[in-house]
Amino acid sequence: MKVNTKKVSFVEPLTLQSGEVLHGFDLMTETYGELSDAKDNAVLVCHAFSGNHHAAGKKDGEKKPGWWDELIGDGKTIDTKKFFVVALNNIGGCHGSTGPANTENKLKQHNGANFPEVSVSDWVKTQKLLADHFGIDCWEMVAGGSLGGMQALQWGISYPDKVKKVAIIAASSKISTQNIALNEVAREIIRKDENFHNGDYLSKDVSPKKGLKAARMLGHITYLSESNMRKRFGRRLQDPENKIDADVNYEVENYLQYKGEQFANTFDANSYILMTKAMDSFDPAKDFDNDLVKCLKTIQAKLLIISFDSDWLFPKEYGVEIQMSAIKAGINSSYIELEGDYGHDSFLFYSEQYSAALKNFLNSNG
Amino acid sequence: MDNTLQQIVLNWIPSQSKVIDFGCGDGVLLKMLSEQKSITGYGVENDPDKINACIINGVSVIQQDIDAGIHNYKGMGFDVAVMASSIQCLRKPRDAMKNILKVANECVITLPNFGNWELRLGILNGKMPSSAQLPAKWYETKNLHLCTITDFEELCCEESFVIKKQVYLNRKGKSSWLANRLPNLFAAQAVYLIG
Repeated sequence: MKVNTKKVSFVEPLTLQSGEVLHGFDLMTETYGELSDAKDNAVLVCHAFSGNHHAAGKKDGEKKPGWWDELIGDGKTIDTKKFFVVALNNIGGCHGSTGPANTENKLKQHNGANFPEVSVSDWVKTQKLLADHFGIDCWEMVAGGSLGGMQALQWGISYPDKVKKVAIIAASSKISTQNIALNEVAREIIRKDENFHNGDYLSKDVSPKKGLKAARMLGHITYLSESNMRKRFGRRLQDPENKIDADVNYEVENYLQYKGEQFANTFDANSYILMTKAMDSFDPAKDFDNDLVKCLKTIQAKLLIISFDSDWLFPKEYGVEIQMSAIKAGINSSYIELEGDYGHDSFLFYSEQYSAALKNFLNSNG
Repeated sequence: MDNTLQQIVLNWIPSQSKVIDFGCGDGVLLKMLSEQKSITGYGVENDPDKINACIINGVSVIQQDIDAGIHNYKGMGFDVAVMASSIQCLRKPRDAMKNILKVANECVITLPNFGNWELRLGILNGKMPSSAQLPAKWYETKNLHLCTITDFEELCCEESFVIKKQVYLNRKGKSSWLANRLPNLFAAQAVYLIG
């Protein structure tokens, strides 16, 4: 598989939905496979809340491959022998694209807590500019899970004739009240970290790692299902040799401590807040008199909506809601419900049925 | 679904209409209808392999158990609902019929006729019969409520389901004189347009 990681810079000012202007921005990108001469084999994969441009393959020294490695690669679900796959880190992120922790920001006023609010449609707008950069007029498919699925949906709405297929996985057209509530608890945990300093921690050369870690631990529970946690950890006690913290009793505690720690070392607190805010405010129907049917009528692409039974963060009712509105709107849309072994995180992992659905959708005509 | 049957359904369904096919199988009928009559079609299916076949065929499909879900499609502007050879598989066929007619103005139903002479002979022989339309063994059939043409038409009469059109097909899937003369005995399959 041909992998190409590069930072793409855009010099033109970008007006965000909030009205604020970014005076140029960078996107960290990674591509897999090769773009055909006709440039008609391109697939965009949009990352979820904490994802980034590294979607597939394993780099030297890496323990784990990219976030969608189970599905992207030579001969895999999204076959890189056939398709040119583009992944990127969205603006506001913290993995090389312009964001609150990016000290190379053109304007200092956009550092840290001063970074403007971004929205899902802002991301899609920058992804369109990225498509133009690659000379891609129309995506064969835009796909994503969770917050990535929201971007895929937004693509169909924002650029109806620039995408043929849209895969919305473990996502919704707006998140649940419970989900907003959970996001707010996570943000509050971060804000209450003594090192947060109202988001201005970079200038003080500290990082609210404790808050980030605890927020991620809470988040992680919501990404898994009760049955998955039961099967994976049960009530087994943690081996004293490998305790990450002296207070840990159970394996599940150790796991969350470890995951939280790891996350806090690589993620930025302002990005966390910004990304979850973007997720909370996503509601494309808002621009269409709060009528999702009217909103979906703008879509020309074919939709594939996949929900997972074990997902309680984005329950399947939200997938059904998009499907039912799509039927009312009379647009081409399919809905599939899979059990999923991993709760909300199921979208990240290969399963035969999941892979077949996505692969057949991507390779279907028209 | 064989050719004659497909042709009948194709003739009955108006161009540009919005169609829902309950138990759409591999989606071939919907694909044909969208190619030849420019319909907007959706299939409802619960078998993962058939759902995949629909996706390959480029047909919109919704994964759902029909028994649980017909009423969900009310008020969605469907002109025609199709239920091909699946009514006898439902837990409550009468309620399903009532619901289907609330989903769409008209409904195309195809039905294997359990009154066909071949099947009657099977019963006389003391065994659960099988035929081209009903190939499965008794222990693995999905059919829960098999009926004869007479049974079905009686139900339509009782429930005031108006049979607008009907065609009776013989064992070869053709509309024959004999099958239309004495359908309950000679038809292997019936196709109805109900409103």
